[in-house]
Amino acid sequence: MSTFIDRPRYLCSLGGAISTLNALPRVITIIHAAAGCGSNLANAHNGAAGYAGSGYCSGLALPSSNVYENEIVFGGETRLAEQIEKTLEVVDGDLYFVLTGCMVEMIGDDAQGVAKQFKDQGKPVYAVDTGGFKGNSFRGYDLALQSIFRDYLEKQDEKDEKLLNLWGIVPVQDVFWKGNLKVLKTLIEKLGYRVNTFFGENETLDDLKNASRASLNIVVSDNFGIEAAKVFEEVHGVPYISIPFPIGDYGTEHFLNEVGKALGIDEIFIHKVIKSEKTRYYSYIERLADITSDIDLQRYAVVVGDSNYAQALTRYLSDDLGWLPELVIITDDNLNDEDKNVVLSRFEDYESGFKPKVIFNPHTSSVLKEINIHWPGSNGHKYYNSFSPAFILGSSFERDAADKLGASHLSVTYPVCNRVVLDRAYAGYEGALRLTEDILGALVAGR
Amino acid sequence: MDYIKEKTPPIREDRLLACNAFGGSCCDLAKTGKKGCLNKTKRSFAQTQGCQLNLSMAILDSIRDSVVIVHGPIGCGGAGLSYGALTSQYHKLRDKNAQGFLWINTNLDESDVINGGEKKLHDAILYAEKEFRPSSIIIVNSCVPALIGDDIDGIVASLQNEVVAKLVPVHCEGFKTKIMASAYDSAYHGILRNLVGQPEHDDSVIEDELELLKEKYKRSRSVNVLNVSSMSRADELELERLLKALDLNVRFLPCYAHPDDFTLATEAALNISICATHDDYFVKHLKEKYNIPYVLQTIPIGIRNTNQWLLDVAEFFGETERAKRLIEVETKELNEALEPFKNQLKGKRVFLSGGEIRILTTAELLQDLGFEVLGVRGYHYDEFANPLIDNLPGNEKIIFNVATGQPFEQANLLESFKPDLYVGHAGMNGWAAKQGIPTFPIFIQSVNYMGYSGVYELTRRVSRVLKNTQFSKNFGKNVKLPYVDEWYGKDPFTYIDSSLAL
Repeated sequence: MSTFIDRPRYLCSLGGAISTLNALPRVITIIHAAAGCGSNLANAHNGAAGYAGSGYCSGLALPSSNVYENEIVFGGETRLAEQIEKTLEVVDGDLYFVLTGCMVEMIGDDAQGVAKQFKDQGKPVYAVDTGGFKGNSFRGYDLALQSIFRDYLEKQDEKDEKLLNLWGIVPVQDVFWKGNLKVLKTLIEKLGYRVNTFFGENETLDDLKNASRASLNIVVSDNFGIEAAKVFEEVHGVPYISIPFPIGDYGTEHFLNEVGKALGIDEIFIHKVIKSEKTRYYSYIERLADITSDIDLQRYAVVVGDSNYAQALTRYLSDDLGWLPELVIITDDNLNDEDKNVVLSRFEDYESGFKPKVIFNPHTSSVLKEINIHWPGSNGHKYYNSFSPAFILGSSFERDAADKLGASHLSVTYPVCNRVVLDRAYAGYEGALRLTEDILGALVAGR
Repeated sequence: MDYIKEKTPPIREDRLLACNAFGGSCCDLAKTGKKGCLNKTKRSFAQTQGCQLNLSMAILDSIRDSVVIVHGPIGCGGAGLSYGALTSQYHKLRDKNAQGFLWINTNLDESDVINGGEKKLHDAILYAEKEFRPSSIIIVNSCVPALIGDDIDGIVASLQNEVVAKLVPVHCEGFKTKIMASAYDSAYHGILRNLVGQPEHDDSVIEDELELLKEKYKRSRSVNVLNVSSMSRADELELERLLKALDLNVRFLPCYAHPDDFTLATEAALNISICATHDDYFVKHLKEKYNIPYVLQTIPIGIRNTNQWLLDVAEFFGETERAKRLIEVETKELNEALEPFKNQLKGKRVFLSGGEIRILTTAELLQDLGFEVLGVRGYHYDEFANPLIDNLPGNEKIIFNVATGQPFEQANLLESFKPDLYVGHAGMNGWAAKQGIPTFPIFIQSVNYMGYSGVYELTRRVSRVLKNTQFSKNFGKNVKLPYVDEWYGKDPFTYIDSSLAL
């Protein structure tokens, strides 16, 4: 049972599906929805994801049937067919996906049936039901992938032992998706494999079409894309593993070990790769020994974000930086108890021995409230061990809370409105170097 | 006009015979438009556009000390994410303790679609009251609850006695209308029904006759200036400066106002609109219900229209002579200041896009600076554009494309016109830039654009923008728009279907 949410940090399943599919090369989404849906969602994609922009054919260019009262009363399938036909005429793409909004699903339009009429004529048109009431952006990512896996991927009997697929990083909701995919791809390639990330640089639709040749699906998440991975296994017989999204030394080492184990790679080889990565990582981190020791840059920290980022950022803060991530607020709204237990298990066994308090709460105004509950105020005492110096690693929403708390702040999780993000990555060792630059950079900016 | 007894306002297709699909010359538009002939035009290929919920939020988000509850599935109102964390600066320009934009989404899911979403709305209202103690809670209704029949007004009526905040339902379901500007009527409708009213009068105080007279005089010189959310604080200060020169007291509504300000709205001697598209519903109702006259004719953008706007106001207060003296001094000073820019700007070819009223007056402003106006695109068309089109020099040659967004039509037009400058509204500028055309955004909340100082600021900025246009040129050379090549060889208005037009 879902509840209302005070300033949610995601859109609906239609929004998630639009940003997912538009992150694929030359894929055109045609939304069958009321007029405002596309424009509203596109605004959030552009402005709240580090200015990701309108993309190739999103933003106000997004083809949309723009159904009104007339279609809601009499049905919108005729209008959809017209819109698909004309989109094929005007818009230059390789693959066209119809995505439905709430209203047309409620009146029972058969978008898949309409798309099939075009498919039968040899046109590359597919459809997914993504009505917003089905859930949030993460659900939309999963629904879009399920449809791609079932309908678009070619069946391949022969598997390529050296080919892997990487999923679980949700475009736009992970503002740094493109950079993160590049980093993780490069990392796994060092193990001697080829990797499809689909939404990253230099990926093609052919790679996607032939993705069922892969020997393993690696889902870099406990929650995002899991249902789709199950569909993949069911339809194409490719197994999957789910590994937490890694940032920094300890998270990435765990990641590489898990991938290695699943692929049956020799442990000695994995350790060699890890050692070489760590040598490079610490050759940079080593520079910070002076400044951090000279002016004490250790901080109490609060982490706010989705279940992918929250665990990765917290482990990095605790085990790489040696900070005190006292409180973690996970903002996913759709986790059941079993999911939550898996997520909670990711905050155990820290190298530092530190144990953060982890709570699930999707409400934005709760952040400051939870901080005050966790660390009560001075109550007028002269000697008071205050929650200071503190740092909030969250979204742009947390800037206000940080101001009120007198804490420093960096926007990393969605929405990110006060930074511009291009190919920056925070994943892996490489990304942890960027994150360290940005976090400590925020601390020395005022010097 | 009196729709206020109804729960929902009429849509603009019906009330104003507005249309959002047309392509031709300005003259053709005015000719066919005046007959109401464009009402039922549509597009067989369409791109997404704003709905009235999106646009209602632009006004409602700005109201201070309030919480907006979007009653709908989790994505509705999501555009707020793109500026949600950054609005407090604009609220703080009006009140330094302001909190910024707060909103809640009721997160309707599949089970609510079947069983109704009223419980979630009920809980969200009580949460908003307890959590934020706002002066008003604005409930924005989206498509889904409208279709399943949630009784928003019933919930509001049952809860109003339990909460201190004034509850303001706004019915702005996106699927109801093609005309995004119907949003203004929806937002004003909610405000008129729930926030505007006569302030309570305290009879227990014995009144001093002199004080009463003073108060009466003050009110006789008080005006409401109806602002829009995409204008800046600097615009307000400029308009206030001009009206103060006529000895008027100015209150700005509805954007960035406090809910209590609407109670005082009925104490004004005159309502001054700066955009008929934005305000006609509001001012006509205030006239009908509280007998407050209004000025609606033009918008203070560019010299001629700023003059006209001032004269309209002055005439009402019998201050025409004073206004003329003010105009003379202001325009002389301004024209001297503009002179050094004119050489650079003379003969530059410009294409504009945005709301009908502002874009037509901006076109005229640019003509004054020596630009040649090639074409304009308006989000929609209705009767309020007619006097501006009629007065626009060269209107028989200027192309008018009525389109809410629809960047594919724009791409086609720009490909053939290849203007030296594109002037547009957020969401459309980037597409022009990708064609290699230098762009100049208007309607930015942080810069001055209205009044005399706005003319100077705009000129200064446009001159700066044209001094180095390399950034957009780079896009032009390296980025491709998502349309097939054949599209550029076709008539830009191929997909406008007028078969149902009268």
